[in-house]
Amino acid sequence: MMNTGYVRPRTLEDALAFLAENSGKTRIVAGGTDVMVDLRAGTLKTDYLLDVSRLQALRGIEIIGNDLSVGAAATLSEIYNSAILEAHAPALQKSAVNFASKQIRNVATIGGNVAHCSPCGDTLPALAIHEARAVLSSPAGERQVPIEAIASGPYMCALPQNEIITRFILKPATVAFADFQKIGRRKELAVARMSMAYMADKDAEGRICFFRFALGACTPTPQRNHRIEAMLTGQIPDAARIWEAGRVLAEDTIAVTGRRASAVYKESAIQGLFMRMVYPLV
Amino acid sequence: MKPEYNVIGKSLPRTGSVDRLRGAPVFAADIQLENPLILKALRSAHDHAEVVAIDVSKALAIEGVVRIFTAADIPGKNLLGIINKDQPLLATDKVRSRSDAVALVAAETESAAHEALAAISVTYNPLPSVTDPFEALKTDAPKIHPKGNLLFSRKIRQGDAEAAFAGCASVIEKTYRTSMIEHNYLEPDAGAGFVDTDGTLVIYASTQNPHYDHKEVVTLLGLGDNQVRIIQAATGGGFGSKLDLNVQGFIGLALFHLKRPVRHVYTREEAYLATAKRHPLTLTVKTGADADGRLKAIKAHIVCDTGAYGSYGIAVASRSAVHVTGPYEIEHVDIESYCVYTNKPFCGAMRGFGAPQVAFAHESQIDLHARDLGMDPLDIRLKNCLRVGSKTGTGQVLTASVGIGECLEAVKPYYREALESGVSAPTHPFRRRGIGLGAMWYGIGNTGVQNPSTAGIEMDPEGHITLFTGCADIGQGSTTVLAQIAAETLGVQPAEIRMVVGDTKYTTNAGATSASRQTYISGNAVKDACQKLGDVLMTEAINRLHSPKDSLVFQDGHVVIKAGPENRPEDRIDFPCLAKRIHAKGVPLFWQGYFDPETIPLDPETGAGSPYATYAFACHLALLEVDTLTGQVTLEKLVAAHDVGQAIHPENVIGQICGGAAMGIGFALMEEFEPQKTVSMKDYHIPTCADVPTVIPIIVESAEPSGPYGAKGVGEPALIPTAPAIINAIARALGERIYHLPANLERVLAASISSGHFGPQEVTHG
Repeated sequence: MMNTGYVRPRTLEDALAFLAENSGKTRIVAGGTDVMVDLRAGTLKTDYLLDVSRLQALRGIEIIGNDLSVGAAATLSEIYNSAILEAHAPALQKSAVNFASKQIRNVATIGGNVAHCSPCGDTLPALAIHEARAVLSSPAGERQVPIEAIASGPYMCALPQNEIITRFILKPATVAFADFQKIGRRKELAVARMSMAYMADKDAEGRICFFRFALGACTPTPQRNHRIEAMLTGQIPDAARIWEAGRVLAEDTIAVTGRRASAVYKESAIQGLFMRMVYPLV
Repeated sequence: MKPEYNVIGKSLPRTGSVDRLRGAPVFAADIQLENPLILKALRSAHDHAEVVAIDVSKALAIEGVVRIFTAADIPGKNLLGIINKDQPLLATDKVRSRSDAVALVAAETESAAHEALAAISVTYNPLPSVTDPFEALKTDAPKIHPKGNLLFSRKIRQGDAEAAFAGCASVIEKTYRTSMIEHNYLEPDAGAGFVDTDGTLVIYASTQNPHYDHKEVVTLLGLGDNQVRIIQAATGGGFGSKLDLNVQGFIGLALFHLKRPVRHVYTREEAYLATAKRHPLTLTVKTGADADGRLKAIKAHIVCDTGAYGSYGIAVASRSAVHVTGPYEIEHVDIESYCVYTNKPFCGAMRGFGAPQVAFAHESQIDLHARDLGMDPLDIRLKNCLRVGSKTGTGQVLTASVGIGECLEAVKPYYREALESGVSAPTHPFRRRGIGLGAMWYGIGNTGVQNPSTAGIEMDPEGHITLFTGCADIGQGSTTVLAQIAAETLGVQPAEIRMVVGDTKYTTNAGATSASRQTYISGNAVKDACQKLGDVLMTEAINRLHSPKDSLVFQDGHVVIKAGPENRPEDRIDFPCLAKRIHAKGVPLFWQGYFDPETIPLDPETGAGSPYATYAFACHLALLEVDTLTGQVTLEKLVAAHDVGQAIHPENVIGQICGGAAMGIGFALMEEFEPQKTVSMKDYHIPTCADVPTVIPIIVESAEPSGPYGAKGVGEPALIPTAPAIINAIARALGERIYHLPANLERVLAASISSGHFGPQEVTHG
């Protein structure tokens, strides 16, 4: 830890140049709320820390045409306070409400939350339901990848080491119902044992006409769940139907994770949390 | 009528609070010494193994490594323990847990010390290990210590419990389990030391008991009392874990051999790995009540898992046995408590010494009886609670200061209000509200053994007062309380008294800051010292004021004739004047005070005796909401009534109550230390502010005649009733009870499912 160099370039170009030169021995850092923990624990060893937190190209939350753009260095506090997100990606805004603690929210970034590839990342389910894509920069230019493609497994980042996530492009949605919920071992500062996000709209007859849902912290990489979305779209939401959808969700998830000791709780709690989150539709 | 005091019962600014705000007090890790060596301990790689050989050659070759110590380097007795000596500072023939230290590195730098730890090669011969105390009691279990795995047992027998059950209308028998708990004090263990010019080994330590540290280090090194000096550094919490020797012995050993300044600071991970934990208890409790709800008999079998070493295990087993009756009068008692070794991290003292664990059981039992008999939980407690004249399970007759009834009455309005607001009526499809009570009693001081305290008071010829106490203030505020007691006794303000605290060179033994004993026991020692000094001052004043002693009082640094109608200058004389005259006559102005509570040891066969001179009492009320879909529990309110005898410093008492309640929430809902799995605060959850609801503290003052100005203690009682109140509230919310702490997400959700609450429910609107 003591022999790690710290670099803070002024521009994205400088950052990419440094990364190109020192590929393989540089770790990108923004808020440091994961990286510093790993460094101290000795699970991360790197020659350089490249601080991208102050790069202008990585900042800002804005609507650009039909897209919602969220800078990778946007802090969780900025996400929490963003009126744009509240209007266009309310589940993402809500995922920042109980994210760790205020001190951590003030420095932790959405880019870091995604790139750390923890299955428990709080922003992941909300990003998934907005079909978010990450914009990656390298000296060769820009490209976009779906956020589901960033992690190849828990804590395993699939991105090449010479690229920097600069921002996320979300499909904005103005919906009547949206939420993010999680379960931790205490009210704050607890890693999510499970999390989920959804957004929905009902038509004039009370049928669900739009439904997006993603589960976090239970599977190796959080993803949208198309089966549940299809199950509820076009339906009149009553308690029994949602309860049944929750049961299917739990069953599907356990089929993926296997029946470990922790599954006893998870199976029921997934169904329960789904019910609790989606209940306002009833 | 309550007596009027000058400073007792007043929340004056805490002694040293301004310094604290300025950051002046120095914690052990921050002590600046010239070019100190860094100490690091190598811990065992096995639960249980013979240590065949330790090869340090590679480690010694590392640049910056100065020396590596093993057990062979200890000049004195390599065996530690406050009650029974069974724990080597450095492993000799074998290791008994992964907490055991095998070698100690002294190096010029932190990184050299770390490298050296990795380079030490220890050859082990692994032995079969046992981690379950019931397994450990079997005859063919691996033997952890030469005398076997049963360290201690305590029996308490009175009347005929079995026969009494036969006549009971309600008999309940249940088994309760609690988890191993980490203290998680803010400041990880730390110390530093140097060799003074006269050759004294001076050790600064984060500690709850500097005089015990002193005795152990002296014995460990085979030195004379004057050759070691322990100074308590500013200490950031302890909760019992800083009663054992943590870094002090290592620092002493290095100073002894190297004569160079050293420092030893635990990381959080090492504090987790290497220091004491709360004993996990398994108790089977059978209680019987008659048709009126009067408790008649109790039979209890308690097993305390003490891990690899005794530490305070014997005290925990003994106190558990005494306290498992709860604050209730029960005629027929048959209790057995066992303290058992296992190959786990050792368990020691932690806030409550077993009382929090047994309170979970006795408070669950009494609620079960209430339900069984169709009684109200508050009424059944009021019916059974101890009163003046009651006989406890050990046959002790309580003669005064039995405030449990008052505590129950104090929470009653909140309880009734909650009931009337329909707390238990389902108004939400997947949330259930619950209300629960938890009561407790807690014997102040050590169980049935002597535990004296001493204090010194000095007046210099100019009339300045200095109080000397060995009592470690670890943040709880004892220094303030002792200054108040001295000030009240001598008629001055606490700020006028110079405090010399926790330094074995200048202070005498005040015993451990534990067992909620310092206000009561050290407070009395301080009062005794002050009264002796005061008597000398009074005697001198008689000759100057020409008035008998019983007409004189202390007031604002003077002796004055009381009740005089006019305030005449000739009716008063100031301390400087008296001190000068007394000093001139050669009469001592330094006095030593002493107090040892009157206890009668418990009979080894029947447990009969008076284990404590006085008891604190409390009752908490918890109001909460259970999410029946996920098992999440949200506390809405805690009401906490505590009989403290007399609050010397009410704000301090409230601080203890609120802090204790927070700790109790952790014990109830989330804390569980799993050896090897729990490494740091990443894996171990203590409550944050977000988990703690409004706490309404209520101070009940049922004065204790033998206490200093009526005071008892509150440090541990604060924590004890919280978990039972929460568990009882969950039981009331769900109609299903949890018998294994913590009541974590998994257990609460399981209770929700088995009680039929899981899933969308019909709601009664109203």
